[in-house]
Amino acid sequence: MAAVSAAQPRASKTESYVDNKRKEDIRQSNINAARSVADAVRTSLGPKGMDKMISTANGEVIITNDGATILNKMEVLQPAAKMLVELSKSQDAAAGDGTTTVVVIAGAILKQCLSLLSHGIHPTVISDSLHKASTKAVDVLTAMAVPLELSDRESLIKSASTSLNSKVVSQYSTLLAPLAVDSVLSVVDPEKPDMVDLRDIKIVKKLGGTVDDTQLVKGLVFDKKASHAAGGPTRMENAKIAVIQFQISPPKTDIEQSIVVSDYTQMDRILKEERNYILGMIKKIKATGCNVLLIQKSILRDAVTDLSLHYLAKAKIMVIKDVERDDIEFITKTLNCLPIANIEHFRAEKLGHADLVEEVSLGDAKIVKVTGIKDMGRTTTVLVRGSNQLVIDEAERSLHDALCVVRCLVSKRFLIAGGGAPEIELSRQLGAWSKVLHGMEGYCVRSFAEALEVIPYTLAENAGLNPIAIVTELRNRHAQGEINAGINVRKGQITNILEENVVQPLLVSTSAISLATECVRMILKIDDIVNVR
Amino acid sequence: MAIEKILKDDASEEKGERARMASFVGAIAITDLVKTTLGPKGMDKILQSTGRGHGVTVTNDGATILKSLHIDNPAAKVLIDISKVQDDEVGDGTTSVVVLAGELLREAEKLVAAKIHPMTIISGYRMAAECARNALLQRVVDNKENAEKFKSDLMKIAMTTLSSKILSQDKEHFAQLAVDAVMRLKGSTNLEAIQIIKKPGGSLMDSFLDEGFILDKKIGLGQPKRIENAKILVANTAMDTDKVKIYGARVRVDSMSKVAEIEGAEKEKMREKVQKIIAHGINCFVNRQLIYNFPEELFADAGVLAIEHADFDGIERLALVTGGEIASTFDNPESVKIGHCKLIEEIMIGEDKLIHFSGVEMGQACTIVLRGASHHVLDEAERSLHDALCVLSQTVNDTRVLLGGGWPEMVMAKEVDELARKTPGKKSHAIEAFSRALVAIPTIIADNAGLDSADLVAQLRAAHHKEGCNAGIDVISGSVGDMAELGISESFKVKQAVLLSATEAAEMILRVDEIITCAPRQREDRM
Repeated sequence: MAAVSAAQPRASKTESYVDNKRKEDIRQSNINAARSVADAVRTSLGPKGMDKMISTANGEVIITNDGATILNKMEVLQPAAKMLVELSKSQDAAAGDGTTTVVVIAGAILKQCLSLLSHGIHPTVISDSLHKASTKAVDVLTAMAVPLELSDRESLIKSASTSLNSKVVSQYSTLLAPLAVDSVLSVVDPEKPDMVDLRDIKIVKKLGGTVDDTQLVKGLVFDKKASHAAGGPTRMENAKIAVIQFQISPPKTDIEQSIVVSDYTQMDRILKEERNYILGMIKKIKATGCNVLLIQKSILRDAVTDLSLHYLAKAKIMVIKDVERDDIEFITKTLNCLPIANIEHFRAEKLGHADLVEEVSLGDAKIVKVTGIKDMGRTTTVLVRGSNQLVIDEAERSLHDALCVVRCLVSKRFLIAGGGAPEIELSRQLGAWSKVLHGMEGYCVRSFAEALEVIPYTLAENAGLNPIAIVTELRNRHAQGEINAGINVRKGQITNILEENVVQPLLVSTSAISLATECVRMILKIDDIVNVR
Repeated sequence: MAIEKILKDDASEEKGERARMASFVGAIAITDLVKTTLGPKGMDKILQSTGRGHGVTVTNDGATILKSLHIDNPAAKVLIDISKVQDDEVGDGTTSVVVLAGELLREAEKLVAAKIHPMTIISGYRMAAECARNALLQRVVDNKENAEKFKSDLMKIAMTTLSSKILSQDKEHFAQLAVDAVMRLKGSTNLEAIQIIKKPGGSLMDSFLDEGFILDKKIGLGQPKRIENAKILVANTAMDTDKVKIYGARVRVDSMSKVAEIEGAEKEKMREKVQKIIAHGINCFVNRQLIYNFPEELFADAGVLAIEHADFDGIERLALVTGGEIASTFDNPESVKIGHCKLIEEIMIGEDKLIHFSGVEMGQACTIVLRGASHHVLDEAERSLHDALCVLSQTVNDTRVLLGGGWPEMVMAKEVDELARKTPGKKSHAIEAFSRALVAIPTIIADNAGLDSADLVAQLRAAHHKEGCNAGIDVISGSVGDMAELGISESFKVKQAVLLSATEAAEMILRVDEIITCAPRQREDRM
């Protein structure tokens, strides 16, 4: 390859001077690329942050404030920039919120690293010092945190609304925050109190209405119509629900088959047989007392035919068809029933029970709601409404963040102040710590501390305040021992942020700091980009 | 006087000096590419794929870098091969071996320029290598008898290996993980039994070692989520329908009820198969292929835990660790070996649910779960950990241990230098050159750490003039330090492999005096 043939035989190895120009260049360009990614999302930080409109390659338009989503859709090519995108994804996986924060912090640390490198400090020295600083930072944060009880619903709601306040849907935070808290708390398993599986919370999106109409449903919601063909029932009280994985349609074998029809009477007989076959199945179903059927989508053959729908309607059985296979687990868990894969296994004990299954009109669309489920599993469904697809999507993402925030609190029960307070406090304490360190380390930790000020700075800047005045004022207040002083964006001044109910989970802050540092260290250690197969 | 053409049109031929130059240039370029990754303060490389997706890998592992390069130089390919062999044989030292070979060639180039015949150089190198190996053999420490000390040796080796990798900050944690895992193997080098699972999220410190086996799959619907004293049947069989696989086979019937009968018969066949499987007296069934809804329900009814679509690697390992065999027919229950384990349960790591088999038959088996910020971190962590595991398992077999940090190179260089003084003739130049190449390794380590290599290496050489000195480069403080005190150790086997394969590779390249490039095969125009 080019790289090989271009290299000239070098002069003797014993020369002490080594030419590092190319390596410096690569590092520089990596850092610059990563920083430009960070700058792209910087303005979306905080409650007064702006949104980005992304138009994807296939013409789809997304409006969002969520860092992870923005970066995900940006399709960056530069490898170092890609690492920042990955970073945001990891934060999304680890904490769910703070996806913008983590990238902004990484960008700021990289900026400081540039100046450190230009002073001739060795990258590995910087990297090691950053690691030390971040461990210390996590300690400081943990010391600042306030413990929380899960029974303290107020605090949970506060932190969920802090997360929601920076989103498009912020005006609905009073509605969405309690909703997020309730849904997470309802899926916490008392046996494993630290674990929350967000897959137990299903978010159903339905166009129409406003975000105000978003609701928590204790039960199931299907974004489908009940089958109307032949006038089947659309409302069923005291429902006995069966989840079936077989098809109510004429038989079909796996081996190829053909029916040979030789005369007219035979044709008549075949039609009759088909009817009898289906009728037989439906009778068996009816015999168990089942009155609501959820039918899994089938690719091999029709799940239901018009004929079977007709008979089902006559038998007063409500039908919801085309249920995805992936959803079956969630549904059976919620209904506390078992899926039925064969008509022979159709037994009453496999059915689920609910007080009411009904089709509800929402605007011009219809959904099916199942409520009053007996022995309901630990699942919850949230029905998100919105006036257009963009709002709904953004509402869903915001809700996801809020759910994650609550989940973080469930697994690590500590709260910390928001509004830039922890960052400025970190910056102050690390700054003080750097003075007792020796050599290069102290210098690097000092820079790390300065980099953290980017968060309050950006918060203020995005809110249209004077960032320098705010940051210096904050430093001053923290120096006087008000460790919870932060930026109150709404009032445009500095207040005790804990009293303003702006709180966030400790996990979000700690993982943002440690992930950002880890990523920066990785970028620093790279000295070459090699093209490979 | 025209010479007849011997070779084909596009083939080229390079001779003598030119051929030698081409190999030197290629080999040295490769060396320069990877040498910055050497040592605890070595740097990483981004490997950017030019293929689809432009995947990005960040790595410090020499073998990984070299493996992925586009190379058009035959000599460079030789170096890549020795790095691969080193990776397969001992797992670590993949960069060192390339760097040493490169340095040997760099020295040889100068000797050739000074009109010394390549064969003379080769025989000098051979003598030097033999002498260097003996020097190492005299200094090895073997703590085979003392279990306690041996364990601390292993720990040190693991830490030394990991200190040049991404895991360096948490090296104690990972060294402990690796040592524990290897100790479980009880001397076998079968690294298959150690499974590494990567899950994004959390930090590297959250990684842990778990006894038993973890399968990244879901348990079927309505089946028990926890089984004690499990009997496991591992299978690779189709759980949809056994089809007649003759093309064009079809059934002709004349009524709908017959179709229904056939369908019923198919179902019945499936049911029989499931019954046969259950008749093995199992309560856990793991299949490599899909399990359809119908058999899944049958299993659920029988209270058997069925896991579908386990990947090939997964079931082979599972069969290995649970002591079972992969079955594909179920007619003879007595001939099928069934795996056992104490407990199967669903666990949650990060956001994902996985299935954990604990108390497995093969006691050595264990799983290391790696957590980390991103896929880059995880992949690199896996490679690093793999290196450490390889080295450790080799060390368990060959318990001889050396000090690290450039100490072995200095010891060898000193002995080789003495040999040079005793050897008459032109060979002594080559032997001297060998010693210079050895010293290049500590020099590069120092350079990579941004230290003054010339000064440090001179100090080291002076320190090594005394007998029984433990001096090496202490990269952290940037000075010469006592390697025994700092606890920096390396496996003898790795060092020996580095020395011998690097010498051999250099020798091979030196012998070349003509490179013939064959004409590329003509591609047909496919229109």
